[in-house]
Amino acid sequence: MSSIIKVENLSFGYTPQSAVLKNFHFKVDRGAFVCIAGPNGAGKTTLLNLLCGLLSPNTGYIEIDSEPIGSYSVRKLAQKIAVVRQEFVPVFDFTVTETVSMARTPYLGRLGFETKPDIDIVKEALQITDTAQFASRTLATLSGGERQRVFIARAFAQDTPILLLDEPTSLLDLKHQVAIYDLLKTAQRQKGKTIVAITHDINLAAQYCDKVLLLGADRNYRVGSAENVFSTEQIEKVFGVKTFTGRVGQEKFFIPLGKFAKDCPQIYKNFNSGMQK
Amino acid sequence: MTETLTSKKLAITFFFCLLALVVVMALCAVVGTQKISLAKALSGPADTPGENIDYEILMGVRLPRVILAALVGGALACCGVVLQAILRNPLADPYILGISSGAGLGAIIAVLSGLTWRFWGGSPIAVFAFVGALITVWLVWGIGHLAGAGKSQVTTLLLAGVVVNAFFAAVIMFLTSIAKSDQIHSTIFWLMGNITEKNRSVLLVSAACIIAGIIALFSICHRLNVLTFGQDQAKALGVDTAVTQITAFGLAAFITAIAVSLSGLIGFVGLIVPHAVRLVFGPDHRRLLPVSAIIGGAFLVVADTIARTIVAPAQLPVGVITAIAGGPFFLILLAKYSRKVSWLK
Repeated sequence: MSSIIKVENLSFGYTPQSAVLKNFHFKVDRGAFVCIAGPNGAGKTTLLNLLCGLLSPNTGYIEIDSEPIGSYSVRKLAQKIAVVRQEFVPVFDFTVTETVSMARTPYLGRLGFETKPDIDIVKEALQITDTAQFASRTLATLSGGERQRVFIARAFAQDTPILLLDEPTSLLDLKHQVAIYDLLKTAQRQKGKTIVAITHDINLAAQYCDKVLLLGADRNYRVGSAENVFSTEQIEKVFGVKTFTGRVGQEKFFIPLGKFAKDCPQIYKNFNSGMQK
Repeated sequence: MTETLTSKKLAITFFFCLLALVVVMALCAVVGTQKISLAKALSGPADTPGENIDYEILMGVRLPRVILAALVGGALACCGVVLQAILRNPLADPYILGISSGAGLGAIIAVLSGLTWRFWGGSPIAVFAFVGALITVWLVWGIGHLAGAGKSQVTTLLLAGVVVNAFFAAVIMFLTSIAKSDQIHSTIFWLMGNITEKNRSVLLVSAACIIAGIIALFSICHRLNVLTFGQDQAKALGVDTAVTQITAFGLAAFITAIAVSLSGLIGFVGLIVPHAVRLVFGPDHRRLLPVSAIIGGAFLVVADTIARTIVAPAQLPVGVITAIAGGPFFLILLAKYSRKVSWLK
């Protein structure tokens, strides 16, 4: 399978002295679901900003759909990559429909009015993400989960092969976290979208993605299947927290253990063996 | 506004607003201290000048003044819309980046130097104000970029504007305090904002510049929509943020400088009209900008009519009326719609 994102020998630092990413190689296959995990300050968002052209690497290069990222105009790149950022409330009161319609900006003509096909694509995105029900409400009146779905709708309406997400579920409750990941997985399967999502939830990452990239604060990184990359040792090393790893059938799950959780391992071990039977 | 805005819907809205503006302008042209007979005024010019006074008052005095007010009002409202979008700040107005103080400084220098030449029908005050405004905006833009290379650009730009404004205001006060008293009156009157009769060529040239500027701004309105979500999101949606910002700033500064050189510092229009229109029509700039242009024009035409009639035969500076009438009017709108506006919560 061909890679739609290719990063080679990339180095980047905000100051010349400190590199956030160093000799970094990374590939994303077309139609893959990739999660990026790692502690704060490991460079996850920096990497995302490099991938969407917001930052330029110091050395090395990035290829999007077999073309160097620098060869794209802002408009052309926006036809390849859609980005969903963390929770955000805009300054002015745009409605959900207006917000999602902005996804069509990279396709609009000189005066910037949506045509019938644009409006149809927006409607479809509202439907898929289940946001059509509050299409006429303003963003400020929505809950965090609803708002996040609106921004995902906007990314869908942008009709790009690649979707980059920066912690799309960071502020959501369990139900909405799962709902968002289901939505992304469906888009991957049905529309063949390539999805790269930053997440702090390694359990969700392990459950949904084909490949994980684990960035460490020490500038080391590992890429591979969740099964291989997310081992107890790796997670304890990278995040610096004692972790209990359990298994339910094929699914691995991880529970971070604080210093007040002395008895937990035993409890989970019992639970785990109980489940296995 | 639940549905996506189409060019057809916008055209209909725009047409009705324009119709309303024309009606307001016509009504205000007829109203005045000197009563005129409409039938006589519309009968056309007499063979000898001075015979049909009504026609001369209407066509020679009132109409140019009403048109000037509409132009200046529309210009200020549009620049308010654009600067609020670019700076992502609902408190921004056309003067926020130092235009007011720069123009004021230019004007007071012109007064103090006692120049009397005329340039294309413009007085030295107008010319100096125009140049002062543009230089100051360029200065503020430069400082903002120098200090804020990176993400906080908008904030540093605002800060640079505030600081330069304060500094120039101090220089203006210094110059005012050492000036002779007969020079002060015209400066103060200018600083308060004033619509006065202009000759035809000045009116035509500024009208062409302002309207062309507004049309150019209209062509980037869909990008302004996206820019209110911040530079990162705008870029991800395919907007070249640097180009859009420079275009918008440049055009807004140019239009404001023309408006300021025509009529001095008229406050409140550029702040209040965009908000009022946004409350009623929503924040989509493709509608907000053209409708604000018209409502801003109508608002200033009415305000100027009040200014020239309320204490007749004397005239008030129109800036006094816009502030006195605009404040309460805005509060009423706010009370009625505030629950729908997020940044007020």
